[in-house]
Amino acid sequence: MDASEFPFLGFGVGLRRDHYLHVLENRPDMDWFEIISENFMIDGGRPLEVLGAVRETYPIVAHGVSMSLGSTDPLNREHLGRLRELARRFKPAWISDHLCWTGVGGRNLHDLLPLPYTEEVVRHVAGRIREVQDFLERRIAIENVSSYMTFSDSRMTEWDFLSAVASEADCGILLDINNIFVSAFNQDFDARAYIDAVACDRVVQFHLAGHSDHGRYLLDTHDHPVRDEVWELYAYAVRRFGSISTLIEWDDNIPAFEVLAETADKARCIHDETVRTKADRDATRSENDSGNSLSAHHRA
Amino acid sequence: MRRDLKTIQEILYRLITAPSGVAEGLADERALGCDGLRGVISEGARLSAEDRVDIYASAYFYRIFDVLKEDYPATLKVLGETDFHNLITGYLIEYPPTHFSITYAGQFLARYVETHPLTERYPYIADLARLERALIDSFIAPDAEPLSSETMRSIDPDAWGSLRMRTHPSVLLLQASWDVAPVLRSLEEGRTLPDDPASGRFPIVIRRTNNRSFYRNAEWAEFEALSLARQGTSFGEICELVDAKTSGESAATIASLLARWLADAMLVASD
Repeated sequence: MDASEFPFLGFGVGLRRDHYLHVLENRPDMDWFEIISENFMIDGGRPLEVLGAVRETYPIVAHGVSMSLGSTDPLNREHLGRLRELARRFKPAWISDHLCWTGVGGRNLHDLLPLPYTEEVVRHVAGRIREVQDFLERRIAIENVSSYMTFSDSRMTEWDFLSAVASEADCGILLDINNIFVSAFNQDFDARAYIDAVACDRVVQFHLAGHSDHGRYLLDTHDHPVRDEVWELYAYAVRRFGSISTLIEWDDNIPAFEVLAETADKARCIHDETVRTKADRDATRSENDSGNSLSAHHRA
Repeated sequence: MRRDLKTIQEILYRLITAPSGVAEGLADERALGCDGLRGVISEGARLSAEDRVDIYASAYFYRIFDVLKEDYPATLKVLGETDFHNLITGYLIEYPPTHFSITYAGQFLARYVETHPLTERYPYIADLARLERALIDSFIAPDAEPLSSETMRSIDPDAWGSLRMRTHPSVLLLQASWDVAPVLRSLEEGRTLPDDPASGRFPIVIRRTNNRSFYRNAEWAEFEALSLARQGTSFGEICELVDAKTSGESAATIASLLARWLADAMLVASD
């Protein structure tokens, strides 16, 4: 996969209606914005005008919620056509959607439902992703969803399923750290094992968000600050994957823009510190290694 | 028993959207084998398979419910939370979302309300919902370059008669049987909702100007002139229609209407 298709954009936030005016009037210091593609796949009006103005200053990424890559319905050609038009007009750095299904029988649940983790489903979804990529004439990234159920038929772990789909479809992975945390709690798996195992060369973006604790389960609500445990998991992911474009999602109980900007800055600080520490450790290890080999050479 | 993906998705769809909840949906479900839902969804220490599907069922309803509360604030205000909740429950059974965008989840609400028992208590509620939907449709209607006063002034007045024009795509015309515009206005201005609105025939004009949607009651002459312009017509034909609808004041009326339409960006040039 060509890394230049998913360049490191830095640390961004989701562009939401509540902040349109603030962003347009103040042009805040922000590396990039992510849009919900479907909110802009419309004929006209303010959202498109706002996006045009935002795009003059900032890189954007188009993140969709309705591609329904895992559905057994045919791909929605109207959806794809509008997405292609959106991409041609606003030139997002890349396009992403979810590894899930959102409806069947021509009906839409407007939710991101998980899939059985089987080889058969890997082939089904990967084929559809390739079809989408051919239509859009670009590689896309797929995101792991928060899940509240797993299927009795599943024959592999979620991370193996995600990696296998990305490999077979030859697409990128948008790794949602909060979703991993939420699903790990709900499905009783080790979140770090997920991060350790997912295909390293496919990960092109991170998502961070808040969730709600319902006692017996966690709900991915995007209406809270990012929890400390998710920040820790993010640092862990940065140690493995390095500098990956990172995005703060906040979709309900949306706070002032400054709070989002501070959250993006916190991600930047954690990234910088983690990368620096890792570099120092690698350098030390490298020195020790070369010292060892020198000694070995002398001994020889 | 292994099931194919399509069967699994169809079972889950039925359970998630079951009108009386997942438990009753399960009782009616015929595609599950002797293992029941556990044959499809894994159980866990904290949550049963049914609990897990229930999380999705709840998310399905409330995600759409919350969007419709935003889209239909006046309808919600008139009906109150409980009746609105029940209305949406029935609506989603009758009109489950089919569009990929949740913006269109409520597009048939007015049609559904028309025959709903709530119209006995609130006979104007379908018109109110129709007006609220029209504001959304106008807000996201296609863009088009509006005709300006400057453009009109640059055209030889003798050529105006043959000048072809049409309404901007965001201009929508609504014929209501109840005077619902003041109801919506009261809500927007934070005032107490008026008593039941008058019945009759009320032409309402909806438009988008500077990316904001507006609405107002109109005179019939204006409404019919705009109806004509919606299909694309000449200015001369609009003048003839207004002339026939007004008695002896057509020149002043036309001048006034044209000035308003241009100021409100309601006209575009027609090929």
